[in-house]
Amino acid sequence: MSTIQFITMIVNYVAWYIFVFIAVMWMLVLFNYGEKFKVEKHKKPKKLPTVSILVPAHNEEKNIEMTLNSLLNLKYPKGLLEIIVIDDASTDRTIEIVKNFRGVKLIRNKKNMGKAYSLNKALKIAKGEIIACIDADSFVERDILIKMVGDFEDPKVASVTPALKVFKPRTFLEKIQATEYLLNIFLRKSLDAIDAIHVTPGVFSLYRKKVLEEIGGFDEDNLTEDMEIALRIQNAGYKITNKLDAVSYTLCPPNLRSLFKQRLRWYRGALQNTAKYKHMLFKPHYGNLGVFLLPFNFISIMAVIAIFLLMLWNFADSIWKFLWQMHLINWDFMIFFRDMKIDLENFMLNTMTTPTIFMLIGMLLGSYLLLKSFNVSQEKFRLHKLGYFTYLIIYPLIMMVFWFTAMICEIFRVKRKW
Amino acid sequence: MLGKKQFDLGMIITALIISSLLFISGIFVGYSINQEKLSSIEKTIREIISDIQNFQLQFLFIDILGKNATCPFLMDTLYEINKKSYEIGLRLESYGKESEIKDYNEFLNQKREYSRLLINYWLLSNKLKKSCKTDFNTIVYFYSRECERCDDQAFILTYLKKTHGEKVLVFALDGDLDEPSIKVLKINYNITSYPYLIVNEKGFAQFMSKNDLESLLNLNII
Repeated sequence: MSTIQFITMIVNYVAWYIFVFIAVMWMLVLFNYGEKFKVEKHKKPKKLPTVSILVPAHNEEKNIEMTLNSLLNLKYPKGLLEIIVIDDASTDRTIEIVKNFRGVKLIRNKKNMGKAYSLNKALKIAKGEIIACIDADSFVERDILIKMVGDFEDPKVASVTPALKVFKPRTFLEKIQATEYLLNIFLRKSLDAIDAIHVTPGVFSLYRKKVLEEIGGFDEDNLTEDMEIALRIQNAGYKITNKLDAVSYTLCPPNLRSLFKQRLRWYRGALQNTAKYKHMLFKPHYGNLGVFLLPFNFISIMAVIAIFLLMLWNFADSIWKFLWQMHLINWDFMIFFRDMKIDLENFMLNTMTTPTIFMLIGMLLGSYLLLKSFNVSQEKFRLHKLGYFTYLIIYPLIMMVFWFTAMICEIFRVKRKW
Repeated sequence: MLGKKQFDLGMIITALIISSLLFISGIFVGYSINQEKLSSIEKTIREIISDIQNFQLQFLFIDILGKNATCPFLMDTLYEINKKSYEIGLRLESYGKESEIKDYNEFLNQKREYSRLLINYWLLSNKLKKSCKTDFNTIVYFYSRECERCDDQAFILTYLKKTHGEKVLVFALDGDLDEPSIKVLKINYNITSYPYLIVNEKGFAQFMSKNDLESLLNLNII
């Protein structure tokens, strides 16, 4: 066995061990905290808090109307609700549209300052005890707020996250993302169970205003301020919870190019924030987040990148070998038609190697978690959705490319853009 | 600052244990499949042994029944064995390269037995060539682990075998193998470098390209 084969083998085994460990970990969370996944009866809070909903918008003429309509339709006492749109120097009709809405406050940035700046600016004038943040391409179910605010009765809770779904996915890419979001609904609830939520998505996450002020608002120099704020809240010792039946919807990137752009930002942000909060890694002080989640997130990213590089290497190697062999036989392509018989027994024996077995174990655990996700997020699993399971095969491949690019960008410090 | 957070040490340890068990059983299944590969090779080798014994027996018929009656049988058996033996040779090779955990002695024993068989078979086919006055090409191919161009040579031989079928019989032998009958051949042909080819009983101590070989072989036979 050559050195490169040996390295390939070791890296493969380490990577697969990590994946098996993480899958088992999720299973155990499911097993140990099963009761948390049942949709709870909502105890109505004794006193409803005042809520300010912040809607940062930059050139959102297409979607903001839908967003604002869904917010104005919220089942919540109007007197306790405040909606603030922060226009981040839009150049389209966004402002015009917002001005048509009654009961919506509008503040404007002269220059494009970014989302975190807009949120902080609105925070200064917001009157609510609770702050809700929602992107202007998202919207919510009517009862979302009333289902979420109850959690704030626990004074340790600083943020409550909803269950985030993709709105009417149509194309294959959108459907595959919808599957990912479903899986994330389940994972976020699992993280809630072990008190380790590390992202409060910008699609109707609620924050306690007092805590936001205490920890200094959103980080204006961060690619993913929704992860940064979550880590800062956790760092300060507060809790973040999740409500399974509080559903918000978002539009997802419709094509590979915009998806790539979005993910590059997310993943670079994830790397940036892992570096920023590296003092939390492996520290029992920060609970499961510090001991398990953050380190293993990072390690599994490394494993994903390693597997990606190995696959790339093997692919290039076999292409090269094929071309070389073709050259050896003077490009006599007819050979492929001469020996088409497939020896099934031999084929089985050759394909069933140890890595294949791990891949099968991984797929099995993955399928189970995915089924569970459908169940938990109240989506009925129908047979035509079987296609969603292609997620398990195709998505990891796409993600590997994204993570790898994000890593390269971070290492070579390519200029960060929003 | 609020107080410390809790973490589930128990759960993490349980997860470590379960995933280790899963991991080890995965490796174990992989290992069993490897064993399965070996035993499947063993089975085919047994078949070839019995075929070759049959071949030797048929050879004895020449004296009693005469060449005209026996030669067609012999040719059939020869081709049948060659198809099998070359395939199994390839499988033995790829198994030797790929397998991670293996019963190395067992593997070597099989390889020795197979090599003896192959040499026996090569000698018989040379004899057949003379007795039956038929024509086909034999190529004995010696390879070694430390050999730069052996993979290429093997690929070209496989190609020739596939393209020309019964006209070319290939016998692949591992020159590193500690096997007396191979040593005899090595001394006899003065084999010191690899790849080494014996094409129709003539030795060549070099890599032979597709064109080199095709010009050496007698391919205009039926």
